[in-house]
Amino acid sequence: MDFYQGKVLRIDLSRGASAVEPLNMEWAEKYVGGKGLLLRYMWEEIPPRLDPWSADNPIFVVTGPFAGTNVSTSSRLIVGCKSPVTGVLNDSYVGGSFAPELKFAGYDMIIVTGRAPHPTVVTIKDDVVEFRPAEPKYWGMKTSAVEQALREDFDPDAKVLSIGPAGENRIPWACVSTDQYHKAGRGGHGALFGDKNLKAIAIRGTGSVQVGDAKAFLADICRIHEEYILTDDNYWVHEEGTPILVDLINGAGALPTRNWSEGEFEDADKINSEAFQKIRIKKRACSQCAIACRNFHGVELGGEMVRGEGPEYETIALCGANCGIGDIAALMKFNELCDEWGMDTISSGAVLGLAMDLTEKGVKDFGVRFGDIEGYLAAPELMATRTGIGEELALGAKALAARYGVPELAMEVKNLELPGYDPRGTFGMTLSYSTSDRGGCHMRSYPVGDEIITGDEPADTMEGKAAYNINGQNFSSMKYLGIWCDFWAIDLDQMSQLLKHLWKRDVTEAELELAGERVWNLGRLFNLREGLTAADDSLPELLLTKPHKRGPAAGRVITTEAFAEKTQEYYRLRGWDENGVPTEEKLVELGVDVRL
Amino acid sequence: MPHVMISRKKCTGCHMCELACSAYHENAYRPSVARLFSEVNPTTADIKGHTCLQTGCAKCQQACPHDAIVTRRITVKPRGFFESKEKLGDTVEGYVLVVDDEKCTNCGECYEVCPTGVIHEHPDRHVAFKCDLCDGDPQCIAFCQNKYVYAVDLKIDRKDKELLKTVPGEATA
Repeated sequence: MDFYQGKVLRIDLSRGASAVEPLNMEWAEKYVGGKGLLLRYMWEEIPPRLDPWSADNPIFVVTGPFAGTNVSTSSRLIVGCKSPVTGVLNDSYVGGSFAPELKFAGYDMIIVTGRAPHPTVVTIKDDVVEFRPAEPKYWGMKTSAVEQALREDFDPDAKVLSIGPAGENRIPWACVSTDQYHKAGRGGHGALFGDKNLKAIAIRGTGSVQVGDAKAFLADICRIHEEYILTDDNYWVHEEGTPILVDLINGAGALPTRNWSEGEFEDADKINSEAFQKIRIKKRACSQCAIACRNFHGVELGGEMVRGEGPEYETIALCGANCGIGDIAALMKFNELCDEWGMDTISSGAVLGLAMDLTEKGVKDFGVRFGDIEGYLAAPELMATRTGIGEELALGAKALAARYGVPELAMEVKNLELPGYDPRGTFGMTLSYSTSDRGGCHMRSYPVGDEIITGDEPADTMEGKAAYNINGQNFSSMKYLGIWCDFWAIDLDQMSQLLKHLWKRDVTEAELELAGERVWNLGRLFNLREGLTAADDSLPELLLTKPHKRGPAAGRVITTEAFAEKTQEYYRLRGWDENGVPTEEKLVELGVDVRL
Repeated sequence: MPHVMISRKKCTGCHMCELACSAYHENAYRPSVARLFSEVNPTTADIKGHTCLQTGCAKCQQACPHDAIVTRRITVKPRGFFESKEKLGDTVEGYVLVVDDEKCTNCGECYEVCPTGVIHEHPDRHVAFKCDLCDGDPQCIAFCQNKYVYAVDLKIDRKDKELLKTVPGEATA
């Protein structure tokens, strides 16, 4: 079979057994790969209203059809589940080198079910799957240590998906790590790994991925790279990477600062792209990516060198500005600590920023204030181990703010803490967050791109934003079938050129658009089935009603009414009813093959 | 002779060279049998390229008891850009060491002596396999495409030039 391996590996942790079954090619045809296949399998495999903490809640590890080839950016992997944090679907994307290795081992996807009777590491070498006790050696290890240990103990070329102590302790924002700095960050997959007593999956594949006539394919990919990816317009990704956003977002008054109380950070120039370029040691790439956006930095902190990849923009925003931290070395260290303990930095920075805010406001003294470097650097360990203030912080932003009677101070949607764009500086992000299928997330639609970066769309109006977000969500759904990274500004024509190799026929842009919309609607059905209602498509009230006093977005108010009106417009344009439920007509039009 | 080198400093660890190498030779992506590889420590970002130095090294050829490593004339004209292109020009004439599958007995002598670890037993064909510079269009160079990286380079060494004078045309060791 070309591109697909046609195989799914099932890992049953309760029984310590594995099995291989054919990939459902009917679904692969309809939903392509990546997000589409994930959602179709989730629909089938997850009993409706399943308690996400139940041992029966599966974790999916999914590749795209181009993983393991030369197609740049397509090595991304999805870790997916019904999130124990949001109660709805969660597809978390991660780069690195795990996805190609999974393909070379002979699988398109892994489905992990059950709960191991004791902490376990699963090793996979091609068709040999083994369950190894994680105690006493691996359990408790930080992420870099467990990766290194498994390279030594299992295979020097092993690629590892692992959790740090935060996952073992079921911290709601514990992430799944690979290649040390790459995180399937959002939605608590790490906590689910921990709950299943699964410390790591290590894999080594020595097989091949077929593509038909490989020499012809190589020549075409070489051309595609030259024409579309390694272009002067796109080289900023390599030259700067995501830190380029700091100045842009700050300049628009949309940089979350001190728990979203301001949109402009006075020390942004100390943690912007220019500042990070000064401490850059090396450029790094994910497997099979010619762009190489990753920055490996080194900086001295208190006589010690802190070295590592990142932080990326979201981390700079949430763990920098949002915590009032303008010290680049401290930020590097905080990022390293979150990586090592195994925690998503967006939620780490959001929760800590909230705790700082509660302290400053005299609501509850957590002993850490905005800009307090000592308290800031002590926090990751406390959070990851649920000790000291960490015990309460591990509630997450929503429950923590609610406990102290100030729910309005928690910046989250569907219990997922918001990333680094304040909608008051970029109005389109309201609906982007509220209608995102996995909760507070910027990766489904990105009005920031035109409201701030290109300036092609006005940032201070809700007009046109329903349609804009719908287009963005459908497009990202197509892209996540690929699974192409956001750092390739791929268009429909380029996607169809690649998919022509996959499907061995001409691919129209219209059918791709349909596939994206189909997948988005399938996700909506899944979420509705799990109990989501229109009331969950909300946004923190404060973002709609309270304008910033200072900065470029000062005085702008979105209003609750405009948001409600545009939410209804969004439903209408989507072909959903007023409760946000897809109509039968829409589902037929899209060829969605499941029903509520 | 002409041989490929990976710059430790510039390489980003994307493995494009290995992927392209395997696809060219195996008609499928299979980096575990690539003719070169980049050893990457993801935590420290330490990267080390492993490539065949061809006739400039020739330890495999010297060790082979069956004369199965053959010196073959080659014209290397890489499709992509490479660091030394301005110095060497578009085309480099020289020799490359290739395995004669008919003569190779898979005895493993060459596997032991290769200083860069790039000659192995092929898992399917059970003979030695190594870099042959892709018949003159090295895919590793073609796919090191980022102009800010260009980590895979084509080099020649002094031994090459001498050999070129003394070994005209097709030759065996």
